[in-house]
This record gives sequence, C-alpha cells and structure tokens, in this order.
Amino acid sequence: MARRWIRIAFAGPGAVIIAVVIMAGMALWLPGGAAGIDNLVLPLVLAPLIWAALFFHACLDRSTARVAAVALVLLAIHGGLVAHKFLQPQPAAETTP
Amino acid sequence: MISLPQRETKLMVAVHGWSGILLGLLLYAVVVTGAAAVFASEIGIWSAGHVGSRSAFAQPMAEAVRRAGEETPAKYREAVDLFEIGDHELGAYFHHHETDAEGNLIARGIFYAFGPGGEIRERREGTDEDVYGARNDNALEHFLVDTHVRLHVPDPWGLLLTGILGLAMLVAAISGLLIHRHLFKDIFTLRRGAKPVLFNRDRHSVAGTWSLPFAFVLAFTGSFFSFYGTVGVPIVAMAAFGGDVEALTEAVYGTPGKPDPRPETALGLDRAMAHAIQRAGDVPTFAAIENFGRADAKLTTYHAPAGGGLAPVSLVYDATDGTFLQDKPLIGPTPSAGGTLAGIMSPLHFGNFAGMLSKAVWFGLGFAMSYVIYTGLRLWLARREAGSRSLEWLERGVVVVGFGLPLALLACAGAFFLSMPAGTALFWVPAGFLMVSALAIGLGAAWRDVAGLAGALELALGVVMLALPPLRLITGGPGWTTALEAGQVIIPALDLALLLAAGWLLWRVFGRLGQRRSAQEHPVLQAAE
Repeated sequence: MARRWIRIAFAGPGAVIIAVVIMAGMALWLPGGAAGIDNLVLPLVLAPLIWAALFFHACLDRSTARVAAVALVLLAIHGGLVAHKFLQPQPAAETTP
Repeated sequence: MISLPQRETKLMVAVHGWSGILLGLLLYAVVVTGAAAVFASEIGIWSAGHVGSRSAFAQPMAEAVRRAGEETPAKYREAVDLFEIGDHELGAYFHHHETDAEGNLIARGIFYAFGPGGEIRERREGTDEDVYGARNDNALEHFLVDTHVRLHVPDPWGLLLTGILGLAMLVAAISGLLIHRHLFKDIFTLRRGAKPVLFNRDRHSVAGTWSLPFAFVLAFTGSFFSFYGTVGVPIVAMAAFGGDVEALTEAVYGTPGKPDPRPETALGLDRAMAHAIQRAGDVPTFAAIENFGRADAKLTTYHAPAGGGLAPVSLVYDATDGTFLQDKPLIGPTPSAGGTLAGIMSPLHFGNFAGMLSKAVWFGLGFAMSYVIYTGLRLWLARREAGSRSLEWLERGVVVVGFGLPLALLACAGAFFLSMPAGTALFWVPAGFLMVSALAIGLGAAWRDVAGLAGALELALGVVMLALPPLRLITGGPGWTTALEAGQVIIPALDLALLLAAGWLLWRVFGRLGQRRSAQEHPVLQAAE
C-alpha cells in the first residue's frame, strides 16, 4: 500500500515539481548552440515531454525504488545547479565600491 | 507493436479512462473551439462581412506611420507593432515595455487606426491588452479564440487550466497508444452488427487510432503555449537571468546591433514591405519596428511558412532606407536547433503551414479528436451503466456539452449578426452563448430520455446552421455576388459549409425519426428482422 502511494506521489505532484526544477536546471547546463539561445528555448519546448516521461516512468516501472531514485537524482542534479548559480558571488559591477 | 504485461496494460487502461473522464468535458470544449479556431481569421472575415482582399501591407504606409510617429511622445517610440485591423486597414501601436504592479512585463503606448487613405481614424492610449483585446467587429472571432485559449478564466489561471488539459490529452494519447495491442488491426475494425458497447468501442478506437499522432502533436504544442508565458519563461528567466524576464525576451527575440540613437526618419517602410512580399512570396501577417525615429531603427516582417517549409519566415530591414539586412529565424539571431524547434510549434498547432489545405486537414483532425473525446466519455459511461444508474446525470451532462456547446457557439454567431450593426456585439456574443448554454442545460435536466435529448439538440444544431447564412444577409452582410466580385471567396465558402453541415445533420435526425416511425408501424416485421 505504501509503495502505491509513493508511486502516486511521484506520478502526481512529484512529476510536476521535478519537471519544473529540471526546466530551470537545464537552462544552466545545455549548450547555447549556434544562436546562443538553445539553453533558454529547449527547456521551455521540452517541458511537457519531460513531465510526461516522469509521469509514465512512475506509472510503468515495476521497481518503486528505481522510480524514486531516477526522480530524486534528476531533482538533486538540477536543483543543485540552480542553487549553485544563486550562491555564486554577485558580478563586480553590482558590489559596493 | 507495443506489448505491455497485463498488469501495466490494466493500469494504462485506467489512466486512459480517468484522464478523459476527469477533464474530458473541459478538454472537449477546448478541442471543439480549437478546431473552429483553425479558421478564426476566416470566421472573422465572414462574420464581419469584410470583402477587402488587398492587404494593408501591400499599400503605401510609410507616410501615415511617420505622421503618427511625429505626434507620439518619444517614450513610446521604443517599438511599433504594425498589423491589420477591420477590413484590411492598418493599425500601428507605438509603445514601450514596462513592468506592472504585479511584476508582469507589459507594453504601454498609443494605438492608431488608419483609414484607407492613410488618415488617422482612431487614436487610443493603452496597454497591449487593451489594443489586442476584442472589438465590436471581431467580437465573434475573439470570443472563439478566448474560449479555446483560456476558457474565459482570467490569466494566468485560464492558461494554466488549458495547459493541464493539454497534459491530460498527452496522457490519453500516449496511454491510448500503449493499450492498443493490435494497432493496425484496430484502425480498420468496425463491427457494425455488434452490441452497442462493442460498436461504440470500435468507433472510438478507429477514430482515436487514426488521429493519435495528431492528438500527440496538438497536446504537446498546446500545453507548450499554455505554460510558456505562465510558468516556463519566469522559471528559465529566474535560473538564467536572476528573474529578469525582459533580459530573457531580448536574448531570445531581440535583433542584435550597434546602438545608434541619432534621430532619423523611418522612410524605408514601403520599399522594405515591397521587397518582403516578393522575397517571402506573401504579405506579412505582422511587422514590428525597433527604435522608431532613430538611425538604428530596424523593421522585422513576419510571414507564414512558405515554399513547403514548416518554419515561419521573418525578414529584417533597415527601417530608415528599407535596405534588406537578413533572413532571421523567428527565435534567436541566427538559425539554431532550439530556435527552429520553437519556431515550428506555432504552425504545428495552428496548421497554417500550407495555406487552406493544411488548415482544412487540421480542422478535420480537430473534429475527429472531438468525436474521440465524446465517444470515449460515452463508452466509459456505457461500460458502467449496468452497475450504477446514478451515472445517468453524467451521461446527460456529456450529451448537453457534446451538442450544447457547438449549439451555443453557433448561437454566438447569430447574436453577433444581430448586434454588430448597433455596436453591441461585445456584450451580446457572450450573452448569447450563456443564454443558449442555459437553455441546453435546462433541456438536459427536463428531457425524459437521453437519446431523445441528443436528437433534439442535434436538430437544433441543424436548424441554427441553416438559419445563419440568411440571417447574415438580412442583417446587412454582403451577398455572394458582392463578395465574389471583390475577390472574397471566404464568405460564400463558409455559408456553403454551414448549409452542407445543416443538411447532413437534418438528414441524420429525420432519418432516425423515419426509422422509429417505421418500427412503431410494423413492430412484428421489425422483430422478425
């Protein structure tokens, strides 16, 4: 029964939250491409598919542990990237002289 | 073929059913209005009786825009949007961008509408929402598109709601593919002599299987559009630019170049437009000038996809002398994978990449999707009918929405014809929709049996369709001869489409009535058959 609820949590709110965090994190590691905008545009375009992949993985993978592991690793990597970006020191021009 | 184990197949059947049943009626509303909105601009022309066929972009405009620019405060000359309004007349919106009290990036400025001779017919100050909002002459078209895009729920909640519906459709499409054990066999299986539940299942399955790739594309692109501005842009701007949405917009859509603030008149618009029409093979759908009145002013023209391509075309010019500068992707300064992928989302969703032909295919597939959703809901209910009579209210609801929604949308057209000459269409179009919706709901509650209710609503649909072309003429709309003489084929084409659809619906309704009467007159014969 507990496994079922874990699965529901990862397919429902989990998939939404992790898709949003992946979208934010992708903007920081994707290459900019020829126009320098791929890292900004691709996360926006792919967001519905990322959510769908997380949803169907949570529904169809027989191993609940694997469902949780994949989702949490993706969350940790992308959440970590965003946190790292915000913890970086501010640009010199904005610091007090 | 995809062959899932039994446990996963059962789960996918449940996911497929519940994704439809929980949001199916709203999804049906979005898909029906989306199918009609494929022809939104044609419906606008037909309803307002616009017979002009020469675009404002194909006529001189530089002098009119220059004069408007002279009487516009300098702060609003940061950007100018050029677009068509009414019957191929020119509209220009001089504006700048600012952040409103709620932190949203908006445009504020002065909108000018020009008469056929380039004279300023209307001057109005306002935000982009005021300028691009509904007017008396496009109230029907606007109402239809607004129903599809946000179900008339205020932003951002309406867009979020339709985005969630898009995701539900994505789930239904993917799970629908996964539960088909015999996909190719299912495409052609229609057992006419089988029990009603089996026959209904076949109809749902055949229509669903044929439109499966289309459902996937529509759901994917639709949810992209809904979430793009509401969730996606703020999140990516937060991650990449510390929350500066304007910086993200400039990086993605801006035209890079060396700033040159010296004053200079935009004299090259007419030359640039003539070149753009020749190069793209068609008039622009929209044009924009950056830094109007400065030496670095640039004009970008936006065109529908051309030459068999999927990606829209945009061309950049020096606005001061009309020199062609570059073919620019819709998104990003140079072609890239991300820009191309984002650029084709719009033609894939709207089906406008191959003119009227692709629009007709998209309309047909949209109609098929509406049928799939409707039959899917009926099937879900039919399978549970034996177990629970309490689901009858839901079955009535499905019939009321299934037939009542198209009926209410058609009634909007009637309300538009009656009220547009008096300038009150903005009130009467939604009022007409609400009145006919209430009538359909009332009928749904009062009618004795569900089959009879469906027949009555179908009959009403046919009658309203039949009445619309004469009502358009009676209320002052142009006749077929006038429209054809002006080169406007859309008006007679839509009239004909309505009359044909009305004929088909009435033929179905009266055919069924005839069968029922015959069965009552010869009960023994029918039983023996």
